[in-house]
Amino acid sequence: MMEQPRQPFFLWRHLNKLRLVTLSLVFIVLIIIPIFHVYQTFVAAHAYDLLAPSEKRLYDVAEFVTSPFTNEPAEDLDAVKGNTWSGKFWGLQLSDPLAVVSQIAASLSFYWPFILTALIPVILTILLGRFFCGWLCPAILIYELNSNFSAWLKLASLKLPNFQFDRRLKYGVLATGLILTSLVGSLLIATIYPPAIIGRELYFVIALDGFGIGVVIFIGTLLFDLLVARRGFCRYVCPGGALYSLLGRYRFLRIRRIAESCNDCAKCNAVCEFGLDPMKDDFGQECNNCTACMAICPTEAMTFTLRPTDYPAQGPGHLGRQRKRENNFEIREAAE
Amino acid sequence: MDRRKFIKAMGASAAALVAPLPTQAARNKPSLRYLRPPGAHKEAEFLSKCIRCGQCGETCPNRCIKFFGFENGIASIGTPYITPREKACILCMKCGDVCPTGAIPKIEREANEILEKVDMGLAVVDEELCLSFQGKTCGVCYRACPLQDVAIKVGMLEQPHVKESCIGCGLCERSCIQMPQAIRIQPARQEA
Repeated sequence: MMEQPRQPFFLWRHLNKLRLVTLSLVFIVLIIIPIFHVYQTFVAAHAYDLLAPSEKRLYDVAEFVTSPFTNEPAEDLDAVKGNTWSGKFWGLQLSDPLAVVSQIAASLSFYWPFILTALIPVILTILLGRFFCGWLCPAILIYELNSNFSAWLKLASLKLPNFQFDRRLKYGVLATGLILTSLVGSLLIATIYPPAIIGRELYFVIALDGFGIGVVIFIGTLLFDLLVARRGFCRYVCPGGALYSLLGRYRFLRIRRIAESCNDCAKCNAVCEFGLDPMKDDFGQECNNCTACMAICPTEAMTFTLRPTDYPAQGPGHLGRQRKRENNFEIREAAE
Repeated sequence: MDRRKFIKAMGASAAALVAPLPTQAARNKPSLRYLRPPGAHKEAEFLSKCIRCGQCGETCPNRCIKFFGFENGIASIGTPYITPREKACILCMKCGDVCPTGAIPKIEREANEILEKVDMGLAVVDEELCLSFQGKTCGVCYRACPLQDVAIKVGMLEQPHVKESCIGCGLCERSCIQMPQAIRIQPARQEA
């Protein structure tokens, strides 16, 4: 008797939409924080009469948005500051583990108040894996739009090269970056790490004179993704992704394939932004639980599982052609 | 153009490329006189601790903190700085409160604390430019100073005399009515 295939919980396949909402929210917050900061400076200066018309509009909108929540915006809006590289949320300071690691490398000392700010992210990464990359990183939104753009170009029969590199390259980038950071004594990693760049540059362009040089580096990574390798930066280069992958190697929450309801259509492999091989049960340490494979699976063969290692390879899906052929062969053999 | 001329021109341009450019020679140009945020550590320690998150700038109520691009070398890309003539530090000490990395330590907003722990630079008066030293009573820098009579004193004709305890916030340089300014901050980090 064949055992009944387990169905994934019906909400799992909608998580990918929630993820896009989360990414957009992070991006919107990164835009709102500088706008509120500019508003705070206007309030603190009592300068409404001296503002230019566009600044007055900003002031009015910010006042309209914040007035139901606070009477003293100059002080109270300090509650949320910073970006995904390091930020403060109502007194809770959170930092990217890469920031902590590279600060230790640069200063060769341990400043505990700062190291502890990465504690919660590290614990979450150990439990959930590289989730930051899929769910919070503000650069991912643009990278995914960029990879959609290259898909459109493909539809318009403009085929761009898509080279494959070794995914272990990024661990080399992380090690080299940390060694260089240590030699120079200055956090060079922060200047090429896209989430840090995005938060910084959004502040520069909204509150200061305009974009800094980070935008050039970021556009370089976009062109690399577009012209050299699809999602190449995250897959092969990103030092933060490397650190998160290492931390999340034995993550507790994993995606697994239900072989009984898989039909080997390989859509999960095609949609995986990190170039993993979900159809062969090969998620590995670099899966960021983005749930894109769950959302696209036509037979609902992807579900979550709680275990610190991947399922061993389960072979071809039971609804797939290869498995059927093997079965028929076995039946024929048995008949003979 | 004959061949000899052409070769000569090539040689000359190659020599021009190899020779150090005037822009490279003048790396410490005076326009790069900048201050770090108040209370920041000495330059080397500051660079090794700052993670370039930009929160000091995001919290500065005066928006005087700006961030470096390439102009001060690769090591200080994205680090905060203040140009006192454009906008000076009002010593609110919020940047130290918000800095998570210890690059800008927390300092209480209290005169003795600030005098003891903040050292951004020292104001220097150019007596040839200063109106008060030219016989026209001015005294604007004295009135702009947040630490009057501690950091700066005035003598006859409101002539400013900077004391040792000046911490270099730059409000005097910001307020100087002379163009170019007669009082400037000599940054402390360049001595270190």
